[in-house]
Order: sequence, then structure tokens, then C-alpha cells
Amino acid sequence: MLQCIFLLSDSGEVMLEKQLTGHRVDRSICAWFWEQSLSQPDSFKVLPVIASPTHYLFQIVREGITFLACTQVEMQPLMGIEFLCRVADVLSDYLGGLNEDVIKDNFVIVYELLDEMIDNGFPLTTEPNILRDMIAPPNIVSKMLSVVTGNTSNVSDTLPGATSSCVPWRTTQLKHANNDVYVNLVEEMDAIINSDGALVKCEIFGVVEVNSHLSGIPDLTLSFANPSILNDVQFHPCVRFRPWESEKVLSFVPPDGLFKLMSYRVKKLRNTPIYVKPQMSSESGTCRLSVMVGIRNDPGKAVDSLVVQFQLPHCVSSANLTANHGTVNILADKTCSWSIGRIPKDKAPQMSGTLVLEDGVEQLQVKPTFRVGFKIMGVALSGLKINKLDLKNLPTPAHKGFRAQTEAGQYEVRS
Amino acid sequence: MFTQFGTTAENFSKASTMVFRIGTDAHLYDDPDDVSISPLLDSKFDSEKCEALKRLLALIAQGLDVSNYFPQVVKNVASQSLEVKKLVYLYLLHYAERRPNEALLSINIFQRDLGDQNPLVRAWALRTMAGIRLHVISPLVLVAVRKCSRDPSVYVRKCAANALPKLHDLRLEENATSIIEIIGILLNDNSPGVVGAAAAAFASVCPNNLPLIGRNYKRLCEILPDVEEWGQIILIGILLRYVIARHGLAKESIMASLLPNIFNNENTGSESDTDYLEIKKTYEIGIQEPELVAMVSRSYLAGHDKYLSHLNNSDTISSENTSSRFTSSKNDENVKILLQCTSPLLWSRNSAVVLAAAGVHWIMAPVEEISKIVKPLLFLLRSSDASKYVVLCNIQVFAKVMPSLFGQNIEDFFISSSDAYQVKALKLEILSSIATDASISVIFQEFQDYVRDPDRRFAANTVVAIGLCAKKNPQVAHTCVEGLLALTSPKSINSTSGSMDDEAVVLIQAITSIKDIIKQDPPSHENAIICLIRNLDAIKVPVARAMIVWIAGEYNSVGNIIPKMVPVILRFLARDFPSESIETKYQILNAAVKVLLNSKGEDFHTAKSVLSYVLDLAKFDLNYDIRDRARVLRKLLSCYFSSSGLEEKEDNDEIPLLLAEHIFGETIKASTEMFNNRFYLPGSLSQIVFHAAPGYEPLPEPCSLTESDMVKGLEGPTQTEDNDSDVDSGSLNEEEGSYYSEDSVTASTGTDNESAASESDNNNTDSLINFSDVGKPQEAANGLSEFMSKGALESWLDDNDNPGSSQNVAGIDNNERISSARISIGDISTRIKPKIYTLLDPTYGNGLKVVYKYSSEVSTMSPSLVSVDTIFENCSSDPMTKLFLTHEDYELLDQGSSSESQKDVPDFVPMEKIAILEPGQTIKRVIHVHFHHHLLPMKLILWFNDKKHPVKLRPDIGYFIKPFIMDLDVFSQKESQLPGMFEYTRRCSFTDHLAELASDDKDGDVPSTKDSFLIICESLASKMLSNANLHLVSVNMPVDANLNDASGLCLRFSGEILSNSIPCLVSVTLDGKSFEPLNATVKINCEETVFGLNLLNRIVNFLPEPRLTS
Repeated sequence: MLQCIFLLSDSGEVMLEKQLTGHRVDRSICAWFWEQSLSQPDSFKVLPVIASPTHYLFQIVREGITFLACTQVEMQPLMGIEFLCRVADVLSDYLGGLNEDVIKDNFVIVYELLDEMIDNGFPLTTEPNILRDMIAPPNIVSKMLSVVTGNTSNVSDTLPGATSSCVPWRTTQLKHANNDVYVNLVEEMDAIINSDGALVKCEIFGVVEVNSHLSGIPDLTLSFANPSILNDVQFHPCVRFRPWESEKVLSFVPPDGLFKLMSYRVKKLRNTPIYVKPQMSSESGTCRLSVMVGIRNDPGKAVDSLVVQFQLPHCVSSANLTANHGTVNILADKTCSWSIGRIPKDKAPQMSGTLVLEDGVEQLQVKPTFRVGFKIMGVALSGLKINKLDLKNLPTPAHKGFRAQTEAGQYEVRS
Repeated sequence: MFTQFGTTAENFSKASTMVFRIGTDAHLYDDPDDVSISPLLDSKFDSEKCEALKRLLALIAQGLDVSNYFPQVVKNVASQSLEVKKLVYLYLLHYAERRPNEALLSINIFQRDLGDQNPLVRAWALRTMAGIRLHVISPLVLVAVRKCSRDPSVYVRKCAANALPKLHDLRLEENATSIIEIIGILLNDNSPGVVGAAAAAFASVCPNNLPLIGRNYKRLCEILPDVEEWGQIILIGILLRYVIARHGLAKESIMASLLPNIFNNENTGSESDTDYLEIKKTYEIGIQEPELVAMVSRSYLAGHDKYLSHLNNSDTISSENTSSRFTSSKNDENVKILLQCTSPLLWSRNSAVVLAAAGVHWIMAPVEEISKIVKPLLFLLRSSDASKYVVLCNIQVFAKVMPSLFGQNIEDFFISSSDAYQVKALKLEILSSIATDASISVIFQEFQDYVRDPDRRFAANTVVAIGLCAKKNPQVAHTCVEGLLALTSPKSINSTSGSMDDEAVVLIQAITSIKDIIKQDPPSHENAIICLIRNLDAIKVPVARAMIVWIAGEYNSVGNIIPKMVPVILRFLARDFPSESIETKYQILNAAVKVLLNSKGEDFHTAKSVLSYVLDLAKFDLNYDIRDRARVLRKLLSCYFSSSGLEEKEDNDEIPLLLAEHIFGETIKASTEMFNNRFYLPGSLSQIVFHAAPGYEPLPEPCSLTESDMVKGLEGPTQTEDNDSDVDSGSLNEEEGSYYSEDSVTASTGTDNESAASESDNNNTDSLINFSDVGKPQEAANGLSEFMSKGALESWLDDNDNPGSSQNVAGIDNNERISSARISIGDISTRIKPKIYTLLDPTYGNGLKVVYKYSSEVSTMSPSLVSVDTIFENCSSDPMTKLFLTHEDYELLDQGSSSESQKDVPDFVPMEKIAILEPGQTIKRVIHVHFHHHLLPMKLILWFNDKKHPVKLRPDIGYFIKPFIMDLDVFSQKESQLPGMFEYTRRCSFTDHLAELASDDKDGDVPSTKDSFLIICESLASKMLSNANLHLVSVNMPVDANLNDASGLCLRFSGEILSNSIPCLVSVTLDGKSFEPLNATVKINCEETVFGLNLLNRIVNFLPEPRLTS
């Protein structure tokens, strides 16, 4: 069971502590933690489970904020980590992003949320829909009201009905003027292209996002035209297992608003939409670099927000890189970022230039990895197709909408 | 330019946040105390109260102590505004334990809120009431929880389930049964949400009370998919434990495949034949190292420590009644249903649920179906970075045990540049363990890319992985060596002088890997050795150089070319000997000797001259170790130098010659693969940190839960819990559940000891209490006589007292009642036997037994320290050395990292070290301890034989006081000063006297000497004084009572709290018939409320404990 949760800013300051059980944890543990993570930055900062002299610590880092949980007894580490992730998600949802200021400004809400989310070290209410009913998120109206009147309460005085229903993720007695439901396939493509230019791994990690604004308690059924391509799936708790096991259809009562109905993975794809070809040749202290980018298999829609990034090796002292399209930026941490945007029709974008190596280094032995980012709207590269969406138990007919998009996930080209 | 842009961006973001901060609580966090908070708290407007509370919350968030506002805040608990209530609750929960007296003021409001219409109010009240953790109100909380567990609102019932662990945490024994009963009710609840919370309560309150699960097993399985995700995680674990304890392991599972020999032994029944076939199939499926599997499954079952201790006689263990310990996952309904209900959970979005479900399948599912868990586990690698690491740690174990499981999915372990270093290292390790002949080429292709990664540490890890792969798959060894040699080539070394340190790591690693591969089969790697030797000139890193010289020396006679090459190389090395680094010098010396021993004829003379040249140089080396080594070698090889000629070998100098050949000539055997052999249950914290975390429990003994246990469990849940924990025993018993407080097992041994002791003392207890029929004492009213009587008392005390102990006597006149007997109790000290606790049991202390008892003497170091007599006994057959007890934080303090080392009173005064403890010897030492808490055990570390053992010293509140000698007047005066809230009473039963009365009756000879009243007084007084360090002030007996009615018998004790010298008065009044169990009313008057209550609880606990005399 978790004993305490700390929120640390990116400078190591303890912004908030919430003791969860009677066995309190002194905040000096945070000082220890910060000292350690400063002294061994690469190994400590990223370890999610740490055994300190007095406690076991779980940490996740989100946008500079460190969420630190302590326990002294055996528990499932993933439970602690998953809970911290959930806390971070809820907070960033409530506060519209995470940073030091926003947490300090809304510390009361953070406390109230934490108190609802965990009781005696065991998660209590983590469903965002219910939390929203219990503790109102800050919005512009309440802020203005509080400026004018001096105070407003954000604590609801009734228990959300959903806590007692058999579909705890759904607010009861919902009424929407416009009934609509949107299904959005958001896919990320992970790919590894090795130094020989061969496609070693290419897979899609996708999410079926549903944005539902439906009255009453609707019952939805979503089916795919080609469910067999799905390698693996993860479901929102609202999805019933039986229909999926027998017929591969998703039957569910949706929560209100935006949620992830399902995540899936499609493995062993053969093609990538674009190619990135880096070439390097080094000679007597300098290294010539050229990178070509182009469309390989036209996905049918425009490839947008194309970015190629890579880390200059340590032994590079300076770099002179130009591109015939887009802009090249070299940041202070030796990250080189070439933003191309949309690929022009008439020419193939190319970046070229020289890297000057440090004194005494003749040849560049290490090879940087190029990370590629892109976005394609309107197409799901996995080829997953939605067959139909049935809505039952609705007072009025609803509007249905479908969309798809693909982004680059961990798309890497080794040189 | 960049910096300018940076500042403007910063300003911009600041400005924009300023806009967003309007209307938030920002100003409260930034300056929480810019206004005075007290008046706001007392304001009649909710909004002002709110502001004040928010300011307090901000101060708490910033780590300041604002407990001084407690009384004012508590008042506001009555507010109707839910926001104020919520904020007050947040404050209360933070501080209640520190301000128990004031916290009590809020109880009435909680009681009122528990009856509120609004379920939210009821739930909050219950949560807070249980959360403030006061022993005094635990009965109230118990009632409230019981009521709320039948509440119509699901949310309230869930909170009731969550309140149970809080209540259990207070460790009040009288509540245990009720808590378990309520858990039973809640586990039966219709709502899945409540069941999940109840499962969590079960896991933290009584994880071993498996009969409770047995009642609902099927239903719990069916409800599992509907339970909330957090509850699922816990419930899966509980169900798994139950199935194993009740039905045993599945014989088709991977856990069962550890015992192929048993199935062999088990004659030729048709069933066992099929079993055996299945086992064979298992091996075909791809378990490569049956030993490893056996180790893993035994570790799961027995826990790592126990497993190691049983390692030697493991055969006997595994073969005993094995057939009965197994069930079938295909035929057994219970196992089937568990697997069925957990398999959809593999699709959960919560990674912890997936891993828990995967763990069940890993342990229970038939081997051929385990592959089901592969895809879900690998999918988890796409979730958050933090969980990726934990999942990989678990996959690593699975992959080691059953490499074929992940053989199809190698590309999931390919490294992405965004992975953290640890993740990369884990992936490499997994890749090298799942590599097969088919996949090895693809993996090598990948490795080639990794070697050129800019992160050189990672590149070095890759080189290690290549070496591991080559060892596992000998047919690729040559390719590996070639690849590795490329890394050592002069071209690659020279070009990167910029990052020499990083590059050196890779180089050293590459040569180490090559060395390991060569070791497997030296003759086939002749070319590699030659190539390395050729590169020697270019390689400047000392460690790498030394390693190559070692290789050259070691394999100097392999093949045809090397024997010619090595002497030449050696001559060059000898020439530059003075400029080499120390490591290389050592290896040059060694190599020269090895070459000499292997050479013949002409070469022998060259080798000899080279060696003697090197030895001469070494003799004048700056490093003393080299000089010494040269001297030793010269002496050892003196036969070679005394006169030339091979015939000398036959001389009488044979011993040094043999020695030299043994040292240098022996070929090195390939060492067995080292793996990290600590295995814990999948998904557990212990598996990640590689040690058993407190509270970690391995799987229960298969089939340890019998039908009769189940029945017993239904009758009396607590009882079976204890039984279970007794059965499990082992080192984990100590940890189990008892993390924060007293252990029932230890306590019971304590009573055993006590009873045994008092038994032995029965003989000389004849006249502990004497009637002295002095009537009323002379007037106590006037001061002088009071003084005199005191003096008289003292002199009387001196007469009867044993020096050093002051609590053993009381002869007190009773001048308050009209007439009552004056009783003086004689030498009671012989009957006082303090409870003996076990600090370390010989079974898991390697034969060292350590027991301790609280001593009645006041510590000589400081009055606030408690002295504890610790007795060390060596039960083993070997002497033990360097016994020493230190505080757990001792090392920490030594490093100076903690600022607390400046305290006036140390927590723990270390005892005198015991240098040696012979077998059978017993040594007593006194340690002085300062407990910070009345109930929490103090963690100590026991050192012996240079090993440390964590042990726990359990506090006994009865010894946090010292006798306070006073007479009855002073007593009653003090008592009258401490009325009302400083006075607490509780009732309990007392039965000790019955045994003695009974034995007295049997004796029959001298009944007249012993009065039943006396026996009662005697036994009560000795019981009290054995368990608490008190002073017996008076024994009051109603004179007009009839013989068999003990009502009105009253014993008074006094003491003073060690830490602050506040007096503490205890009166025990008896009620009932002499020959029946008596009702005792214990009353305590003490200013220190918490202490008083704790002491009261302690007394009420020990008084009814039976005294197991003959």
C-alpha cells in the first residue's frame, strides 16, 4: 500500500505532500531522492522503482513534474506506477497541462483530487467521469466568479450516481440536446530501418478514440471489417469480453465525452509511407552528411508535419547543414532538427553539409539515429476498417462520425 | 541570439501564466501566512473559513508544521458547507495522530454525520474517523464500519471496506475477529466495486485466512472481470494463493516440470505415463535449463532464503508426497475457472492487471497454453516508460526459464533510441537469452548497429551480449569473434581518441568477450589469437593490453604459428617492460613463466633469458608488489637458473617445480554460467529490487489447506489464521502482517516462557502475603506522623527488600476505609517473571538464539532509556564471533547524512560487543533503548560472523514506566487530582488464581495456611508486576466480605513515565466469586492521555491471558 505521494518540481522542490496512511513518511526522503538523481542522472532519474534506505519509491516524470510514491511493504510495483500515471492524467486533464505553476496555483484541487483518488494507500475513485462530478474542474466561469464574489466551492455536495450503478464509468441521467458519437482511429507507426536500409520492424500502435455525447444509457456495438489483422488489443473497462471472444465485435456502454475505447497493435507491416536515406562519409576530420526524404508508397493523403531529428555525436565540434526545403535548427544540446513540413511536388527535399570533428578525430565511428516525425490525416495505415456502429437504447437517433489519422511513433532510421 | 530569445520566451510564458493565475488559489500558495489565520478560522463566514483552511493546506503542502491550529480547525468540522468539511478532513487526517486529545472533540460530529442523509457525508465521516487512528475510539469506529458495511450506498460500503485495514493497523486484538467477520460480509457483497475493496482489505488484514475465500471462491472468480481494476490486481493474487493452498499446483504447468524424476519413480501406472509424456513434451517445447526452472518454481513456493537453505536436501523434499500435491489444470474445475476468468483480463488497459493475470497463467496454465500471455505482455511495452521497465524485468525471468516463449517476437526487443539505458540493457539481456539458431543472424545484424551507437556504455553492453550469444550458440562463435576483432582493430581505436574513456570501455569489453569465447575451444580460434597479438602494438588501454598478454601467455602452445610468435612478442614486451602499466607488467611476468614452462630445446634458452631479463627489471621496479612477485618467481623457478640444462629438472628441487607447473601450467576450466538466481513471484516488488521486501510472501504450500481447515475457518476465522501462519513458519512469518506491531506468535511463546518460569517457582511461594493484624495505623492526618510512618515504611522496606529491586514489596496500611484488612505482601520478587520475547529464532539465525526481557532496573545511561536484558545463546555446533547489535539507522548516522545524530538521548545505546560465543554458551548483555513509539517495534540489526540480520525489538509499554514509590495517601491525593478525562477504565476477566486454587485443593494437607483471597491477591499482583514495571502501593480487602466473594478486592499500583516523569496510577478492582473467573476493572489515572490509554489496553490484554501452570 502506498504511504505517501510527493509532487516535485523540476528543480527538486517538494510542491505537495499527501500522507496516505498513519505511517507517515518524512519529506527528507525527497531530498535524498533528489540528491541521488543529481549525482547519477542517467541511471537514477529513469528508474521507476528505487529502493531507498528506508522506503521503496515509485516515480514517474511527466512534463518536468516528478510524481513520487513511497511504500515500505511488498506491493505490485506496476500498481503504484499505473496509479501515478492515472493521477498525472487526471491532473493534466483538470488543469489543462502540467507544470510547476499550474499545480501550485490549484493545490487545493490537487489535494481534493488525491483525497478522492486514494484512500489509505489503495486507489478509490479513479474514473475521470466520476471525479468530474465530485470535484468540479477549474474553468473560466468559476475563476471569474471567485474573483467577483471571493469564493466558490468546487466540491460537489451530492454523491455522483455513477458510483452505485453497474456502469461506474458513466454518469447517470445524461441529457444532451444533440446526440452524436464520433469514432476516431489514431494510429502511430513504429519502424526501425537499419543501416543497410532494410526495414527491420514496422508496426502500428493504434487507439480507437470515441467521443460520445449520448443521452440515457445507450448500448453501442462497433465491428471491424478486418479484425483478424489485429495482433493484440487492450480494452476500456466498458467493453464486454464475451462478444469480442466469440464474434470480435466491441459491445459497450460508453462513458460520456472523450475516451480510449481500445488500443491495438498491427505487426509486421511491409511498407512505410516515406523513405529517409542518410549518407555519411568521413575523411580527415570532417564528415559529409546528406539526408534525402521522399514519398515511397503514396498513402493517398498528404504527409504533413514532416520532421527529421538526430543527435550529433559527442565528437562533433561544429556542424554546417543546409536544406533545399524546410529549415534546419541545431539546438544547444546538439540536437539537430530539420522540419520539412509538407513534401513539395517538384523536388525531393535534401539536407546536406559537413560536420567538423574534434581535433585528433579522423573518422566518425559512431552513427547517429534519425528520428522521423510525420502526420497523415484521414488514413489508417494499418488498414483497419470500421464496418459499422450500431446504437441501441437511444431515445432519439444520433449522428455518427468516423475519422482516422496516422502519426509517426518511434520511427527510426539508423545510419 | 538564442539566449535573448530564451528570455523573451520565458517572460512571455510568465506573463501568460499571470493571466491564467487570476482566480486560482495561487496567492494562497505563494504567501500562505500573509494574513493572520486564526481570526479567519473563527469567522462566521464559510468563505473566510475556507480561505483560512486553504492557507493551512498550503503550509502543509510546503512542509510546515501547523498543528498548533488544531483546536480551532477541529471546531469547524461541524460546518454545514461540504467544502469546509472536506478541507477540515484533509487537515485532520494530517495531524490527528499527533493531537489525539483534541481530535477526540470531533468524534461527536462524525457520529452525527454517519447518520446523514447524504451518502457522501456518511462516507467522508467514516473515512476520516477511521483515518485519524485513535485507539480510544476504535470501538466506535468498529461499530460505524459494521453499520456502513450494510449501507444502501455502494460508495459507503466501499469506504467501509477501506476502513478495515486502518482499524486493523491499530492492532487491537479484541477487534480482530470482528474485522475478519466484516471482511467476510463484504466479500459476499453484490457490487463488484465493494468486493474489490474487500479483497484489498483481506490482503492487508488476514492474507492467510484462505478458508474465508474458499466459501466464495467460485463467485469471486466469476465476479472478477467486473471488479474495478485495482481490486482485480489484488483479487487475482488472493485467488491464486487459495487455489494452490487448496488444490495444489497444476501438473501440466511449468511449475510442475521441475520434478521429472518423481514421475519416473512413480512406477508404471497409465496416468503417470501420460504425465511423463507431457513432461517430455515440455522439454521439446523449449525449456533449456531444467535446473533453472526448478530453481524458479521452488523460489516461488518457498521463498528465496528458505530455498537456499533446503538446497542440499532438496531431493527428499521434492519427492515426498508429490503426487498428492498436484492437481490438473485441465481436469480440475477450480483451476479451470480461475484460468478462464483471468484470461480476458489480459486485455485490460491497466498494465498491473495484465501482469497479474499473466502471472497466474505462468504458474498455473498448461505449458502449451502459456504462450497466451506473450502478446499482452509485449503490448505493455508500448505503455508508459515506467511500466516498460517493470514489465521487462518480469519478461526477463520468463525468457530465461522458457526462451522459446518469446522466440517469435525478437523484434519487440530491438532497441529504440529513445529507450532509457536500463531498458536497453534489459532488452539486450533478453535478446541474448532468447536467441536461437534461426534468429541469431537477424540479432547479430541488429547488434552491429548497436555497436556503433553514440552511447558507448550501451555499445559495451552489446559487446557483452554478443559474447553471451556466442557461448550459447557455438556455431556462430567464429562470426562473433570476427565482429569483435573488428572493434579491436587499430583503425577503429585510433580514430576516436576524442572520447577515449568511453571507447576504452568498449575495447575492454570486446577483448573480455573474445577471451570468454576462446576459452570454450582455444584451438579453433587460433586466428583470433594471432590477430589480437598483432594488434597489441596499437592498443594502449592498460587493462586491454594486459588481457591480450594474458591470452598470449595462456595459449602459447596452441596451433603452429602462435608458439613461434609468442616468444618474439615477449622479447619486445620485455624490452619495454619499464614503461608498461602495472597490470601489464604482471601479465608479462606470468606470460614469460608460462612460455618457459612450455618451451623446449633452443626456445627454452631464449625463454629463460627473457624471463631472467624481465625478472631483473622487475626487481628494481617502483611498485613493491611487482618486486615481491619477481622475487617469489625467481625462488620458485630457481632450478632453471641455478645451472642450465634440462637434466636439472630431475633434481631434488621437484617441489617448487611442481608448484610452478600447477600455478602456471593448469588449463582453466570454463566457468559455469552465472545467473542472477534470485527469483520472486512475477509482478512483485521483490522481483524488481532483487530482495524480499517486507511483507513479501511466496506462494503457500500446495495443498496445505485441508478440508478440516476449511471447516474450522468457518467457525473461527482468527484461530485458523494463526494456525496457518504457524504452519508457514520460516523467516517470512516474522514479516507477515506483523510489520508494524506485535506478533501473535512471539507473544504466545512469551507466555509459555512465563508460565514455565512461574511453574518452577511454585515451591517457594508459600508465604508471599502475610496478614499482620495491626489495627488502624496511627493518625495519618498530621504531617509529622505521616513522615514517621513513611520512615517506618522505608525501614520496613529495607528489611524485606532485595537490594536493587524496589517494586517487590508493599506493606500498606489502609486508613481510608472504616476497617479493612491490612495486607503485606512479602517477597514477591521470586514470583515476578518478566515475559521473555524472542529476538532471533535459532532456526533462521543459523543456530543463534537471542531472547530478551525488559528489565525492571532503570537504565544507568539516562532516565528515559529502557534497559533490556538480552540473552545470546549459541545453539549451533560452531563458535560464533563478533556478536553485536546496532540500530537500523546506525550506518546512516555514521555517514552523517542525517541531522538527527545531534540528539541528547540516543535511540539506542549499543551494547558491548561479544567477541566469541562458544557452542552452548549463553551470554547476557544489557542494551538501553529509547522507543519513539509505544507500539511500533524498533528495527535493529544483529551482526554476527560479519553478517547482518535484521531483527525487531517489540516495545512493551509496561516497561516505559518505573516504579514510583508512594503511600496510599499520596496515591489517593494524586488520584483525586486526575479526574474526568484523565481517568479511563476498562473491564476484563481474570482467571490466573483458579489454577492455583485448584492445585491447592488437591494438596489438601495444609488448606488453612492459604486463604483464597491471598491467592487471588498474590496471583494478581505477580501478574501485574511481571508485565509492567510498577510499584504495588496497597492491597485493599473488604473485611466484611464473605469467604467466597472476592468483590471489592482492590490493588493499587503506581508508576511514573520514564520519558517525562508524569505519574501514572493503576487500580485494579475485582468482582465475582473466588472460585470462578473474576471480573477485573482496571482504572488508570494519568495526565498523558495516549500513554495512559495504551497502557490500559496493554493491561487489559495481558490480564486475561491464561497462566498455563501444571
